[in-house]
This record gives sequence, structure tokens and C-alpha cells, in this order.
Amino acid sequence: MRWPGRTIWDTRVQGVCGIIAASVDGEVHLFASATFAQVSLDPPKVIINPNRTYGIEEAVRLSGRFSINVLPKSARYLMINLMKMRRRQPEKDKVLGIRIIEDDLRIPFLEGNLRTVFCEVERVVESGDRRLYIARVLDFRINPLAGELPLLFSQVTVHSKYPTLRHVVRTSLVLTGALDGLKRVKQKLRPSPPANIPKATYEMAGCTEQEMTVVLKPGAVDRSRILRPPGSPRLITKTLGICVVGTGWGQTHARYLQMLGPNVRIFICGQNREKTDRIARVFGAAGVFYGLEQAVADSRVDALTLALPHHLHKSAVEMAAAHQKHALVEKPIATNLADADAMINTARQAGVILMIAEDMHFRPAIREAVDLIDRGAIGEPLYFLAHAGGVRRPSGWAADKERMGGGVLVDIGVHYVRALRLLMGEPDSVYASSAMQINTKMSGEDSVQLMFSSRFGWQGHMLASWSTQRGHLPDIVVAGERGTLHLWPGAHYLDYYPVEPRLATKLLSFVRPYSLQERLMRPTLQRIRKRCADKDATGYLGEMKEFVAAVAEGREPVTPAEDARRDLQIILRSYESLADGTTHSI
Amino acid sequence: MISPYISTSVIESTVGLVIVKAGEIRNAMTVSFYSEVAHHPTALWISIAKSSFTHELLRQQPEFTLAVLNQKQINIANTCGSVSGRDQDKCSFLDLYETPQGFLFLRGALASTSSRVRDSVDLGEHTLFIANILETELESRTSHLRQLLLSDLKT
Repeated sequence: MRWPGRTIWDTRVQGVCGIIAASVDGEVHLFASATFAQVSLDPPKVIINPNRTYGIEEAVRLSGRFSINVLPKSARYLMINLMKMRRRQPEKDKVLGIRIIEDDLRIPFLEGNLRTVFCEVERVVESGDRRLYIARVLDFRINPLAGELPLLFSQVTVHSKYPTLRHVVRTSLVLTGALDGLKRVKQKLRPSPPANIPKATYEMAGCTEQEMTVVLKPGAVDRSRILRPPGSPRLITKTLGICVVGTGWGQTHARYLQMLGPNVRIFICGQNREKTDRIARVFGAAGVFYGLEQAVADSRVDALTLALPHHLHKSAVEMAAAHQKHALVEKPIATNLADADAMINTARQAGVILMIAEDMHFRPAIREAVDLIDRGAIGEPLYFLAHAGGVRRPSGWAADKERMGGGVLVDIGVHYVRALRLLMGEPDSVYASSAMQINTKMSGEDSVQLMFSSRFGWQGHMLASWSTQRGHLPDIVVAGERGTLHLWPGAHYLDYYPVEPRLATKLLSFVRPYSLQERLMRPTLQRIRKRCADKDATGYLGEMKEFVAAVAEGREPVTPAEDARRDLQIILRSYESLADGTTHSI
Repeated sequence: MISPYISTSVIESTVGLVIVKAGEIRNAMTVSFYSEVAHHPTALWISIAKSSFTHELLRQQPEFTLAVLNQKQINIANTCGSVSGRDQDKCSFLDLYETPQGFLFLRGALASTSSRVRDSVDLGEHTLFIANILETELESRTSHLRQLLLSDLKT
């Protein structure tokens, strides 16, 4: 039976799959293609038509050189993963875990292909939303995998988990004529409009010049993200003396230090003797100090964790550095940038480690979310939404704007600034505003909302409040063109909602009457819960482990103090915006 | 004798048949130099040797059908790739049918696509024809088969 083709993909002109690689300014760009082919015999020339909205197009245009890496059938998942990856993802090779090589031709290519063809552009033919690059072949190599069949486009368009089983079922349906029967039934239930290949192809993937300008406005590659969440921290093998300074939040430090095992000897330092002694007993401390001066002077102490009022961070770090003690300081790094810079310089000059305790950096769900974003699960990330805080009545120094450095924003908001940077990237501007103050017993703000903007095309919104109840909402939402991620505080999982209907949603779409379909449809039908292998849901343990490991190994921590300085800078710009009601660049 | 298109190809590719008709004259030629051009406007390209009969006919009537062959159509590819249309009417032994728009489509091919040439580029011994896609028909009976590859013709 014959059926009308509806899109350009029905023409089956897309044949052998490969990866086109080119580099410009030291950055390698990869592009999954099934539309390259030879165009003349002598001299041998080839044609590629890279999508103009991808970074590869610029790389080929500017460098004038590229390689075509023909994939073997066994590289099916590599091709699928590259095709699924978000268009503007930088460093695709690293996300895919593939090795890129460059030799004397200075053209990047991949290892382990069927064939690699090295090309130099001779001519460019403008052809609508693609450019045809006609290139002469400089060299080509047949790789050891020769003999294996090449991967075909028709083998990667269906993302079945069981491709062989699917092929067997499909073949039987074709041979028995059942597939034609099913198609006829579907056509009867939902008649297709007359085939119009140009229209349908344009609607699915085509682009006019005007649209191209819009698509490329925020750049073909999203270079906004600098920070990356680290992998799970390693185990500590060296015995160290760590002194927890502060008996409030310091107890949390002590609890997580205790989890690191016998290699960490805990000391407690506080001002209130009775409370300090009690906490020391609870955690089986190796020693007690009643003032920072005593702690830094003790030779058994290698490093300090400082859980102090924010305005004391600078003086405490200076005291520790003067005695060659490493320091883990609670966030925010300081209450102003001058103090932050002084702390960083002091630590550098003394040759000691200064790390700021930012648990978001170590939260497994953030790591998982970044991985999903990089692999294209949500397409281009567009919006970041954070709802931070929960009802809290701060007292003492935490209610004092001067000692705190502000209100809820500097205390809780700073975590979500880091989350924004890890998940989306560096914001370029911020606008802050706040509702009426409810808690008049604190001099800092009790709630604030921020609107972040990036020149790379994404936006962020954050609500930090100590005067509202969050309810059962995720604390972070990342919404993209192909899906949305929900992250929950203290959860070792995250929820993923793809735009593409899942099987249950698809089946329910056939239910009639519509009133019944509406009753049966639930948003949770689209939910995919991704569980993190790392059970350290808050990231506190990872953060503590990393600090102790950095001290033990005498190296810079995975998140240096400069990262926290940048967090503070963003917070301070937000305060400036809050004060004058205008948007501030960061 | 192995065709130079097979023996000296630098890239593995799928194989198709270009079918052209100029007045009463028709011809079919095996090709491996073809692919997609763009999604908007929706177009494909074929590269044809200037010395071929197909090239001559395309210059007269800038329209063609590209039929993508399946793995079992080796004989068609071999026959249409080894004889010139000037010497023999290759279409006479092909199972062709005419579409309402007057294009010849190949029965059993994975897909047959009619196209109208909108631009051509001189590449020396070959001419690159860029053509707008008009219509496509898919054959469901052969949809489980893979495309015929250039390397299949070597064996």
C-alpha cells in the first residue's frame, strides 16, 4: 500500500549517519547529521548542510574546515544522544564523554568511526534555512571498525529501548498487512489533512530569515554557565583535627563532621561554657575551646568551620590564617565585597584554604538536574523559578540588618543564587522588589522577589520570604522548551515532566466523552521521578567532605571562595535594585 | 567492472534512482550523490555527471523523481547504473507508475519523491541540481527494509 509522504523525512533522502566536527577559537562543535554526501568523483568533493541555528555552522563558516565522522551501527545511542541534546549546549563532546582528536590537519575528529573524511570548504551555496558547504576532501581514513554496517537515519529516529524487538514486531505487522490495516483505522478515526511537505516540514523544523534572526539573537551557543556541580566527593584517609566554631548552626557542622568517621577529630569552640561543653559531650569532641583565640592557637587543630554572625567572618578568617589554619566559612562569605576580597587575599597570602559552605553546590538533585539539562531533557532552559524560605522569625544578630548583611535575601536567597548559576548560568541583570514588611521585629527585609535576566536568552525568578508559607511546592523549577524539572528541598529525587506525551497520556487522549477524559487526566501522568544515587539530599555531607578532603590533600576546593564572592556580588546588586527600584547589571 | 562511483567513493551512502522524463523520452539512473538541502524552502539536491543522458534530459525538462531503493533492489541499482539510457530504455523493465502530476514513481522503492529544479551549480565533471520537493509516496510493504547502500553493490 502507498501512503503520501508528509514531511521531508518521509523522502528517506536522509541516509548514513555521522557527526560533523569543526572548531573555532579553540572550541569544538559537533553536529549530528544524516545529510552529507559526496558530490563529485575527481577531485572528490562532499556537501554538508549544517543547520544555521547551531554553533557548527559558524564554526564551519569561520574555520573553513571540518570532518565528517561516519558512525557504525553500534554507535546508535551516541547519535541519539547527540540528536536529543539541546541545540545550544556547549562542549557537547564532554557531555557525551567522547574523545576529540586533532592532528596535523588541525581538524577535530572522533575516535572509533567507520570512516573519517577531512574537508576544506570551497564554495557556499545559500539555500534557505541551511547553507550548502561544498568542500574538497583533504584526506580520509578508514578506521578499524570497517566491516561494520553504517548507522542509518531510519535506525535512530525511533527511540525504542528495544530496537530489535520493535523491528521484529514491525516487520510482522508489515508482512501480514496489519500495519496497513491499523493505518486505515487511524485514518478513519483521525483523518489527516492533505499532504503538504513544504508546509509540514516548515512547521516542524523550518525557519524563515526573520525567524532565524530571532532564534540566533541570544547566540547559537549558550555560554552563560561557568559553574558546574562536582561529582560525589571522595573519602578522607588522613586524620585531621577540625574545630567547629559557633554553637548554633555549628551543631549541624559537628553532626556532619561526625559522619566522616574516625579520621576527623572534632573540637568545639564557643563562648558560652555550659553550652559548649554540652555540645562537645554530644559529639564526643576531642577538645573544647572557649574563644577563637584558643582554638587557632592549638596545634591539634588543622582547620576550622566557622558558623558565626556574618559580620564576624572577616576577622575570624584573618585570625585563622594568621595561625595557618584552613577555614570553612558559612555563607554568605561576608556582608560586603571589601571584606570578601580581604578574606580571599588573606587566605591566599597565608597559603591556607578558604572555602564557603554552599550546600547547593553539592546537592545531588542539582547535579542530576544539570546532567538532564546538558543531555537535552528539557531542551533549551528558559525559566528558573525559586521559592525559598518558609515562615521564620529571626532573632538576635540574624534580625539585625547590619550584622546579618541584610535580611532573608542574603541569608537564604544566596543559596538560590548559587542554584541559578549552577542550573542556568551567570545572570546579566537583576531587578528586585518586595511586598509590604510583615515582620517588623527584624531590620532587614522579610521577603523579596528578584527577576534575573541573561543575554543568552533565559530568565530567572526568585521569591525569598520568611513571612509566607511555601506549601507543598518545589523549591526550584526549571522550565524548558521540551520539559520541566521540579526540585524539592532535602529530597534525593527530582521530578521531570516532559512535553512529549507519555504512553498513559497518549492513551487517555483517545477517551471519549471529553468530560471523562478531563477527569482521568492528571499532571502526574507526565511525571518521571528521577532518584539520585547519592542520598546526601541536602548536600551538607558533601560540602563537609569536600572541605576536609581539600585540607587533607592540600588542594583548592572544587568551589573556591571566589564563587561565593560572585554570589554575594549578585545579592548586593539585588539590594541596590531594591533600594532604587531599577534594573541593575551584574 | 566496478563503477568508479563505488570503487572510489570516499563516503558510504545510500543508493537511489533518478527518473527523468523529457517529452516522450524517459530515463532512469542509479545515483548515490544526493541528499537534503533545507527545510525551508523544502528542497533536495542531486549531483549528476555532465556526460550522462540524465543530465541531458534534466537540461531539457528540469524535473525528476528520486526513488530511494531498499536493500533488496540491488538488481535495479546494478542495471540502471551500468547501461546508458542512450543505448537502452531502462525504464521499460522497471515497475513504474505515473502520478497525477505526471511524474514516474517506482513501485517497491522505500519512497519516491518528485522535485522541480530551482538552481544548478557547476562542479566541473558534475552538476549539482537543487530542487524543490513537490510530493512523496511511501511504500508500506517495504517500510521494514533498510536503504540500499553503496557497499551492498560491491558484493
